[in-house]
Amino acid sequence: MRHLAYVVYGSALLALLAVAEYRGWSLLRTSETRNVPRSVRDNPGAYRSPYVGGGRYLGGK
Amino acid sequence: MVAAPPLPVRALSCPHCGAAIEQRGFDHTRNVVCASCLSVLDATDPGLRVLRTFAQGLRVQPLIPLGTRGRVGGAPYEVIGFQQRSIAVDDERYAWREYLLFNPYRGFLYLTEYDGHWNLVRTVRGLPERRQERGRLTARWGGESYRLFQTSEASTDFVLGEFPWEVRLNDRVEVRDFIAPPRLLSAESTEDETTWSLGDYVTGAWVWEAFGLPGQPPSATGVFANQPSPYAAARAGLWRLFAVFVLALLAMAAVRFAPTPALVLRESRQLAPGAAEPYVTESFAVEGRRAALEVEIRSDVSNSWMFVSFALVNEATGRAVDFAREVSYYEGVEGGERWHEGSRDDRVRVPSVPAGRYYMRVAPELAPDAARPVSYVLTLRRDVPSGGFFFAAFLLLLVPPVWVTTRASAFESTRWMESDFAGPTGSAPRADDEEEDDS
Repeated sequence: MRHLAYVVYGSALLALLAVAEYRGWSLLRTSETRNVPRSVRDNPGAYRSPYVGGGRYLGGK
Repeated sequence: MVAAPPLPVRALSCPHCGAAIEQRGFDHTRNVVCASCLSVLDATDPGLRVLRTFAQGLRVQPLIPLGTRGRVGGAPYEVIGFQQRSIAVDDERYAWREYLLFNPYRGFLYLTEYDGHWNLVRTVRGLPERRQERGRLTARWGGESYRLFQTSEASTDFVLGEFPWEVRLNDRVEVRDFIAPPRLLSAESTEDETTWSLGDYVTGAWVWEAFGLPGQPPSATGVFANQPSPYAAARAGLWRLFAVFVLALLAMAAVRFAPTPALVLRESRQLAPGAAEPYVTESFAVEGRRAALEVEIRSDVSNSWMFVSFALVNEATGRAVDFAREVSYYEGVEGGERWHEGSRDDRVRVPSVPAGRYYMRVAPELAPDAARPVSYVLTLRRDVPSGGFFFAAFLLLLVPPVWVTTRASAFESTRWMESDFAGPTGSAPRADDEEEDDS
C-alpha cells in the first residue's frame, strides 16, 4: 500500500515538474501593469515602477 | 470437505473438592489442575490422586477459556491448559500467559500472550547451534540466524487445566530468547535439561478468528521482541522506487539541460555612482510556446550595490511584467585574511511569457557612494530550465523513504529497548557480553 502511494506521489511530482518546466513556471514575485503607454519608449522615466531602489548596506564582516 | 472428528473428552471429578473435571489430553496429560480448588492432580493415576493443594494467591482469568476449540494450520486444536509466568527485571515483574493447545493426532502447541502480542509456539525437535556471528551471540536453526534478545529467570505464577509435565508453582527456569522477527527461538533451561521452542508472531485478530472468540482482542501495547516491523519491508521497496524516480528525474534533466537556451537579447551598459537613469531596450521577439524568460545581470560592482527594476512590456498588448533585482558585492582584507560576500551577478526567471514582440524598461540605480562606475551586461534567454525545481523534486522524492527509514529505526530502537541490550538501532549483544554455555 505504501509502495502504491509512493508511486502515485512520485509520478505526480515528476508530472508537476514536467508541466512547470514546459510552461515556464517560476517562483519570482512579479506584478503586472496593464496598458503601458507607448510613450514609455520615448520617455522611460515617466513609467512608474512598483519597485523602488534598494540601497541597503549588506557588506562588511 | 470432511469435518474433523470431535475431540474426545474424559469426564472425571476432583477428589479434593468434587468439581467436575474434563480430561482431554488423555495419555499425554501428567497433571490436571482443578479449575475449582486449583489442586494439582496426578492424571496418570486412575483415581486422580491429589498431588498438591495450592492456596494460589493469584487467580487469573484466561482470555481463551479452557475447552475452547479452534483451527490452527487447518487442524482442530483445543485449549486444555493455561499458565501465567513472569520474569523480574529491575525489581519489576513482567507476566505473560501461555495457553496449551492439544490435538490428539498432532500433539501440543502453545499460544503465548504478552500485552496483546501473541505467539504460536511449537517445541523444536533438535538442538539449535549457538555461535558468534560478527562478534554477536546468535542461535542458528532452520538455516536462519537468531540474535540473543534477553536472558531472564522465569517463574510460574498460576496454572489451570492439563499439562503434559509435572506442574510446580514458582518453578524457576532460565529463559533465553533469540529473535529473527517474526520468529522467536527460546531456550528454557533447568539444571537437568534445555528445551527449545520456536514461536511465530501472530496478531490478536488472528487468534480471535482461529478460536471464534467473541468481541475484540486486547490491543497490543508497545513493540514485542519478535513483532515484525511494519516499516522494514516498505523501506527497501521505497528506496528501490526512489532509485527509479531519480533515474527518471535525471532523464528529464538531460532532456531539459542539454539544449542551449535561445539568446533573445544582450546589452552592455555602464552606470555612474548615484545615477538612476531609466532606459528602454531595443525591441525583441520572443518566440515559441509560453515559456520562461531568464534575465541575467553580470556586473563588476565592488563594495557597493546596484538595484535594477525591470518592466517587460508586450508591444502589442501594452501589458508589463514588473520585477526588480539587486546585486551587491563587498570584499576586503581583515586581520590579514581576504573576505568577500554577496554576488556581482544575478539571474531570474520571468514566468510563462507568451510569444510576441517585447521591449524592456530598465531602471538601474547605483549606490551614491560607489567608488567608481559599474559596467554590467544584461542577457535575456528563452526557455531556460530551472535547476531549483529539479532539486526541489529530488528533495520531495526523498521525503517518503527517509520518513519510513526513520520510523523503521525508531521501531527497532523501541524493540531493543526492551532487551538486555538496550541501545540505538538494536545493537545486539557482543559475544563477550554473554557467556556461552554448553546446553
